[in-house]
Amino acid sequence: MTRSLRARTAIIGTGRSQVGRVPGRSPLLLAADAARAALDDAGLRKTDIDGVLASPALAAPFHRFSVAFSEYLGIQPTFSNTLQVSGATAATQFNIAAAAIAGGLAETILIVGADSLLTGLTSELAQRALTESRDQQYEMPFGIPVANTFAMTALRHMHEYGTTAEQLAMVAVIEREHAARTPGAQMTVPISVDDVLNSGWVTTPYHKLDCSLISDGGAAFVVTSAERAQALGVPKPVYILGGGECYTHEHIFLMPSLTTTGAVQSSAKAYAMAGCTAREIDVAGVYDCFTGTVIMMLEDLGFCPKGEGGRFVADRQITYGGAIPCNTHGGLLSFAHSGMPGSLFHFDEIVRQLRGECGARQVAGAELALVHSLGGGFATQATTILGSAATV
Amino acid sequence: MAHATPSPDDASRKPLPAPDADSAAFWAGLREGRLLLQHCLACAHIQYYQQGLCRQCGSDRLEHRAASGRGRVYSYSVVHRAPGPAFKADTPYAVLLVELAEGPRMISSLVDGDHGAVAIGMAVEIVFDAITDQVTLPRFRPPRDGA
Repeated sequence: MTRSLRARTAIIGTGRSQVGRVPGRSPLLLAADAARAALDDAGLRKTDIDGVLASPALAAPFHRFSVAFSEYLGIQPTFSNTLQVSGATAATQFNIAAAAIAGGLAETILIVGADSLLTGLTSELAQRALTESRDQQYEMPFGIPVANTFAMTALRHMHEYGTTAEQLAMVAVIEREHAARTPGAQMTVPISVDDVLNSGWVTTPYHKLDCSLISDGGAAFVVTSAERAQALGVPKPVYILGGGECYTHEHIFLMPSLTTTGAVQSSAKAYAMAGCTAREIDVAGVYDCFTGTVIMMLEDLGFCPKGEGGRFVADRQITYGGAIPCNTHGGLLSFAHSGMPGSLFHFDEIVRQLRGECGARQVAGAELALVHSLGGGFATQATTILGSAATV
Repeated sequence: MAHATPSPDDASRKPLPAPDADSAAFWAGLREGRLLLQHCLACAHIQYYQQGLCRQCGSDRLEHRAASGRGRVYSYSVVHRAPGPAFKADTPYAVLLVELAEGPRMISSLVDGDHGAVAIGMAVEIVFDAITDQVTLPRFRPPRDGA
């Protein structure tokens, strides 16, 4: 018998700090802001939490962020860890929380992440901090920012499949439209394809507006067993239906293919556990550190055939009325990107979509959703599938 | 991951490779003008990234052989916004993902060439760029013989 986490656990609380430019609040305080909002949303007190799963913060470089956070909040959990697989960490927090609860290590876990990359670090040091994720012998001596690894995959995708700069830019244009409907988003002024193409080079083929933001902010979630969610009378639990991960390489020069990634395997595992296919997903959160990242992930997650991601986006299939509305809050490109917590904002949005709380940006009939997190130049990939009670 | 935030002084210096037990011979080879690849004597796998066992078959019977120094650009990106102050004066510069004639890929950067002329598939040849007494970086340029 195949072991499965399907619907064994549910997200019963979600919360965010203020995001964007939030001076004067440390990563720990931003994390506490988010945690208190998530606990309020769940109707629980901090003493109801027995587990904490955090991501590390560059502006608060504790060796044990989850432990430092627990002390700061004033709790003494009996399960705790600080996970680190770069941008993929967010989805692994949910997958591991589900496994830990299903396996009896904890009953109610607080997932949390926060950082202050915009005001807690100078921009030079923020960039420097990002470059330290590249190999110090074989990559960094050549001046390769992490953005460059993603850029090289995008150029290769353009070369192999004819993907165009205009198609890349459309990802940013659509996500900005979404952010304009999202209270609290960092960037809400509409942009055009020409605005993206004229925004100045960062690293070819990426212009400034092809790149995600640098932000302050955090998010937190309360995850518990399906039984406890029911006993608590949670009106709209969001169930964790499936999870999968894949790690294909560490160094960009050992990436097996620059245009087909481990997201194929991570999502296949998640779909199998959840018992669904890409076609059935109603709304998605797709990691969007760069515009081209989204195009490649739409293909690898199965929302469109390989090589057709550019045309899929140009046809506006990733917004309302399209095949798969993505990043309806504006994503890392326009809502906020505070580093490792960035992908937690996708989860916050998806939970709210599945609870039907999104008002002007609600995707009608959203019951089944996917969030995909990735990092390290496509080195790390993690997928989580979530559903409303109707999907269980 | 938790580590101290770099000081501004650190940020203004280019990172230099610090050879370890797996890579000391590789960096010594570069100082002598040779790009050493690891050839597996058990399965014939060739690897650029230096390690104590073959990634394909697990054998520790690895032999260093100098690469031809020829390859092609598999992908690239021209950096206009530097990763920190150390590289700011160099911008714009082309970071290359080179596929060596022997098969492995490696990260490098272009010297003696027009970054605007770089294209996927372009032929390149190695340049041994001695940046300190101890460190020589393997960099690439368009071939001088027109090959």
